[in-house]
Amino acid sequence: MSALGGGAAGGEGINPTASLIALVIVLVAVAVVFVVYPAALVPLIGVIIGGVLISFGVHFVPVGGAPAAMGQAPGIATGVAMLAAGGGLAGLFGGAWAAEFGIAISLAAGAIGGGLLMAITCLMVNVVYVYAMGIPAASGKVDKDPITGDTFPAYKSQGTEGHGLPFISYVGGVLGGLFGGMGGTLIYYELLQVYEEALPSFLGTTEGMTTLAVSLAGIFAVGMFLVAAVLTAYNITGTIEGPHDPKFKRWPRAVIGSSAASAVCGLFAILLVVI
Amino acid sequence: MSVKIEASEGGMPHDTMLGIGVVGALVCLYIVYLNSLMSTEVFAFFGGLAAVIALWWGTDSIKTLCSYGLGTGVPSAGMISLGSGVIAFLFASKLAGISPLLVPIGCIFIAAIIGAILGFISDKVLNMNIPVMTRMIAELTIVGSLTMLGFTAMVSGSFIFTDLIAGSVSFLGMEVTSYAASVIGGCVLATIFMLGAIAIQHPFNACLGPNESWDRTQMCALECGFLSMLVVAIMSVAFLSLFAVVISFAISVILWGWSYSEYIKLSKRDAFAWLDSKPIREVGGE
Repeated sequence: MSALGGGAAGGEGINPTASLIALVIVLVAVAVVFVVYPAALVPLIGVIIGGVLISFGVHFVPVGGAPAAMGQAPGIATGVAMLAAGGGLAGLFGGAWAAEFGIAISLAAGAIGGGLLMAITCLMVNVVYVYAMGIPAASGKVDKDPITGDTFPAYKSQGTEGHGLPFISYVGGVLGGLFGGMGGTLIYYELLQVYEEALPSFLGTTEGMTTLAVSLAGIFAVGMFLVAAVLTAYNITGTIEGPHDPKFKRWPRAVIGSSAASAVCGLFAILLVVI
Repeated sequence: MSVKIEASEGGMPHDTMLGIGVVGALVCLYIVYLNSLMSTEVFAFFGGLAAVIALWWGTDSIKTLCSYGLGTGVPSAGMISLGSGVIAFLFASKLAGISPLLVPIGCIFIAAIIGAILGFISDKVLNMNIPVMTRMIAELTIVGSLTMLGFTAMVSGSFIFTDLIAGSVSFLGMEVTSYAASVIGGCVLATIFMLGAIAIQHPFNACLGPNESWDRTQMCALECGFLSMLVVAIMSVAFLSLFAVVISFAISVILWGWSYSEYIKLSKRDAFAWLDSKPIREVGGE
């Protein structure tokens, strides 16, 4: 579903030189933080892991795009960036609410929030597909559902790539929400630790610092989440059915790319309290 | 490598639009700084104008990028633009500690660095292999950061970090500094973020198609920008004097009304051109 009907880009395989440069960018970012503000080294690594979790998680989400809205492709009928933002931000809000209870509960709350949103979305998408559009769930990429063993070819309409939301895609969507929500919450939590520690000494007061730290960490987490999600969307180029789709095998390069992007964005977010 | 498909013929060259966008936005942002020099707030609306100029240029960047077929739809480019732009903008606002005059120009440089890295990642690491990708993602990051900077300057009358985190509330008739009642503490930034994101991702997404025309898309960009500016003007009630808010609001309403009526005229013109049904015009590509 490219904008103007042009052929979607995005070849297979990993570009070794570029991936090496991306890893060097990660190391440089970590080294810079280690030199100028060693206390933020662990948070930066947390931010990078958060970006990697988001990027890996987005690959699970069944994205159908415009063809899915017309019942010509399986998946949820919207773009990768929108779905990831929905699931991830729901997780982020859930996790942010639980931030005061420590990292484990916060991450769990974030994961549940993201997973819950994707579960409800997938359920309602299937209700609309089955009862409103009158189409059965059939995958175009595999003949048999890897979990339930349902067969698809007999139900797939001619001229389509499949339609509806098979069970494996549903499971993929929930898994994607879990990873995305956890990643977004991890970025938020780590940045919150940095700001709560650094802002009072920078401004010389503790009054209202929590609000400020929450706002700064929140807006940075949203920004980084969208960067990681859109880069992953570019990696997928359009539609994906879930973990059984051949495009799922592209995840390593999205993980490399997102770790470099999160490292650069995290570096600037942390340097904010240094200069 | 993907094939380029010309979106629309004619119109201004992209490099000229880049020049107008950068210079226009910078000039408007430096005019906002007159607020601090003259201790007034009436120049706040120039921040909104800076954001609209940046959005006008950014719409053409999105058009250039998306004419290669990203496969993910137009809005994703708008989301990465604002997502990376907000990081560059917040970092740049902190540069005011060195010199306030450094903020707008520093914002452009930092956004260019972040954008170039993100563009390199999407083009080479993710194997998109689109020739203009690195440049356009860098441009979009600059547009996103200038939009955030412009709208933030409009809502608070300043783009200096220490001003953005300190608001004031009156308590028993006394003005008390409150960090919670500030632009960043009150998380007004989140609203500005989405207002900017809608304004950048909508115009080309709405106008694309075989009969897309340059002036209609750019007018839609102006219309979306002024509409966001109108909401920002209403939000600035919390931070600015009533006189400055009324000026911002009046200018936003007038400009939005003008751009909306122009956009409707252009839409009617393009619709009339398609009055008799014709085969879809092939404008290039394969």
